[in-house]
Amino acid sequence: MTRTTVVLISLFAMIAAACVAFGAYFAYATLLTANRTAVEARFAITAQRISSTGELASSLGIALAAQQTLTELVRREARIDPAVRAIDVTDERGRVLFSSDPARVGRDEMARPPDSVSRVMENDLEARIGRVIVHYDPVILAQGAKALADDLRAIAIPTLAAAAVATIAVGLLLAAALRRSLRRAADPNQWPEAARAALASVDAAHAAALTGHASANRGF
Amino acid sequence: MIGLRGGISAAIIVILCVALGMIGWGAQRAAVRTIVPTILAKAESVGRSAAALVETAVEAGIPPEKLAGVPAYFDDLRLQNAELADIRLVRGNEVLFRSGSAQDVNWPQVRVPVTLDTGATVADVVIYIDPSSINAQVAAVLIDVAFIGVVALLIALELVALVVGARAVSVLAGVEARIRDLARGRLVRHDVIAADRLVAPIDRQLDALATRHAFARAEAQRQGDAHALEALDAVASKTGLGAVHIVGNQAAAVVRPALFLFMLAEELTRPFLPRYVQMLASPSLPFGPDIAISLPIVAFMAAVALCQLPFAALSERIGRRNGFMAGAALAACGYVLSALTGNYFLFLAARALSAVGYALVFVSAQGHVVDRSAPHERAEGLAVFVRAIMVAALCGPPIGGVISDRLGGEVAFLFSAGLAGLAMVLAALSLPASERRVGAIGLAPSDLKAAILAPRLAALLFGCAFPAKFILAAFCFYLIPVELQREGFSSAAVGRLQMIYPVIMVLAVPLFAALADRFSARSGFVAAGGLLAGAGALLVAFGTSPVTLAAVLAVLGIGQAMSIAPQSALVADSARHVPGGRSAAVLGLFRLVERSGNAVGPAAAGLLLGSVGFVTSMMTVGGLVIFGAAAFILSGRAASRRTSVSNEASVP
Repeated sequence: MTRTTVVLISLFAMIAAACVAFGAYFAYATLLTANRTAVEARFAITAQRISSTGELASSLGIALAAQQTLTELVRREARIDPAVRAIDVTDERGRVLFSSDPARVGRDEMARPPDSVSRVMENDLEARIGRVIVHYDPVILAQGAKALADDLRAIAIPTLAAAAVATIAVGLLLAAALRRSLRRAADPNQWPEAARAALASVDAAHAAALTGHASANRGF
Repeated sequence: MIGLRGGISAAIIVILCVALGMIGWGAQRAAVRTIVPTILAKAESVGRSAAALVETAVEAGIPPEKLAGVPAYFDDLRLQNAELADIRLVRGNEVLFRSGSAQDVNWPQVRVPVTLDTGATVADVVIYIDPSSINAQVAAVLIDVAFIGVVALLIALELVALVVGARAVSVLAGVEARIRDLARGRLVRHDVIAADRLVAPIDRQLDALATRHAFARAEAQRQGDAHALEALDAVASKTGLGAVHIVGNQAAAVVRPALFLFMLAEELTRPFLPRYVQMLASPSLPFGPDIAISLPIVAFMAAVALCQLPFAALSERIGRRNGFMAGAALAACGYVLSALTGNYFLFLAARALSAVGYALVFVSAQGHVVDRSAPHERAEGLAVFVRAIMVAALCGPPIGGVISDRLGGEVAFLFSAGLAGLAMVLAALSLPASERRVGAIGLAPSDLKAAILAPRLAALLFGCAFPAKFILAAFCFYLIPVELQREGFSSAAVGRLQMIYPVIMVLAVPLFAALADRFSARSGFVAAGGLLAGAGALLVAFGTSPVTLAAVLAVLGIGQAMSIAPQSALVADSARHVPGGRSAAVLGLFRLVERSGNAVGPAAAGLLLGSVGFVTSMMTVGGLVIFGAAAFILSGRAASRRTSVSNEASVP
């Protein structure tokens, strides 16, 4: 039983530690997603502003490719926020028409490149005419991820260790109590009160039955 | 008296609650330290953009106080960014233009100067941030973290159940059972266990008592002493003397860990599957992107539904353990193929293969519980079965979402394959050896006819089982998410609301199943559950706020928790009335009809929503469920009337 008890307590301690680790990691992943959402919300405003301008010009009959003022607009918006690396305006097929970085004009850009926020531009008929893509510095996300990891690690490691130790301690206490109960159970004089009462009632019934028979035999 | 296993299980719950609470506290601190500055940076970005516009105008010769349209522009910015409570253009202490009102000057604020090329500052853009909005964003993150805590706790409980139910700790179970019986004043005997050296002294005492009792009874009988016999029997009945300790039914507990792992494998795929399919679907497909995304889901559900009938007999024929293992192996192959293929149609085939495995595992696990439980303990056994599925449904999506986000959908599919493989190994180790039934040779139409004619079965299937899945799929998977998204709620908020149903099911199913068994009132629980689930939909008459919709889902959860396990138990009972004991036909038919509700629900809800709107759609679906439950109640009355008439007719 000792071996089984030790294995059982060890397994429970591992389960406790693993579940704390699981909770901490998934809390980290949740915070990471929330941080990304908050960071990207900042660049989504910029994308929204530029796409609104492009859509307004489009509704006045100026084709997206002909909106030359967008170059100055995207440059100004890119200058405003040092975390923005580049802002592209692409046509509906993904070719960059205007960009804050002149070297990017004419490139084919995927709809959602990594570390970017994009916003679709539509005409009055809700047909897609292009896309604004704001490329941001991934260092911002990395800094947030590191801060979150540091904060959570500081609390998770001691908590994990404490949970494992507490489980082992409770397990050892319970195992000791079980051993004590097992020792007592071997001796009817040390049985729990309910068992002793039951035993007394059984003894009394047996005695009554057997004595009754004896007296009856004596009577014969 | 609480044993080592029970005590340590309870302790681990308390320890994990405290530990996960600490993690939650750490997450809150981390969120405040990281996300709040990000929100301030966003406000600063908005301020810089507004300041740049003012600079351009001022450089063009327009004085700041003469600018036109500034309040409207600020209003628009506030409309797009709910956390910006007040935006002002100020010159010194003079407020030139303003939108909104900060209720406290100590609210977090950002100040961006409007600086000309000459370096002169002509004004400032000041933005106040509503702290309640920041708190709400942090609270939303913490609610997600709290759900993660619940998921971690549920997984811990499943692992604890796996360890506690393992054969290796049966020695402890034997020791604890003896001590627990003594603590209750029960002097029953126990089956011999491996650690007989430890329990032998106890067993010797109890055996001696039982022998003495048998001798005393034999003597009393020999003497014809009725009074002594009565006294001896009374004390034996009170103390359990001479009786053997009865171990409760373990069929469901044995299959639960393997079933949980297998179901978790499939549930992992739920959150990322549509996006994954979207990436696979090329524009050259002969159908549109919406159909391309929904086709793998429809194929999976259809394959599961269609396999129920043939697999019910197959599982009986090859044995439950073999069926479980074969199903898990097939599903694992399906997941591996899903991960490796880049071809849409191969992916479709892989999903169908996983569905075939899923159906075989489901049918085999259910058959194992039904085969190995007495009628009076069937609802409770099936409740354990349902609970394993519900816990997996609760834990799988958040885990799958994180794996997919961090490592990619392919890795998530491989993870699912690993879990299915683990479930197969666990089933091989824990389930009893398969008993092949020679008589199980497939289902003929006559079997289905016999099944449908079983007492009250048709009313149960079409009045309760079909509507239960119909309303679940219509509400949880379609109407409520679509309505909430239409009202502008985020996917995370919708997801949180969708968790209400499985949480209630996990907590309430075992409770209602035990009550239904104890009061022998399965039909009553099924009917009441159906009526309650349908009636909950009528709450939308009072509004469609998230609180009302949460109440609808909560009532739906309670109603279905009342009915789901007793319903399965009633179906299993009906199988006994089918000629030839063809339980497979009845169970297969039940799952076919039930799963059809899953497939029809979203389609019917879509049609209704397009034609009569959200509120009427909800009430119509709810009304149909109430109607079905009422038909089931009436079928019971008709059946009892027929029984009493036939009894009267048979009296000479």
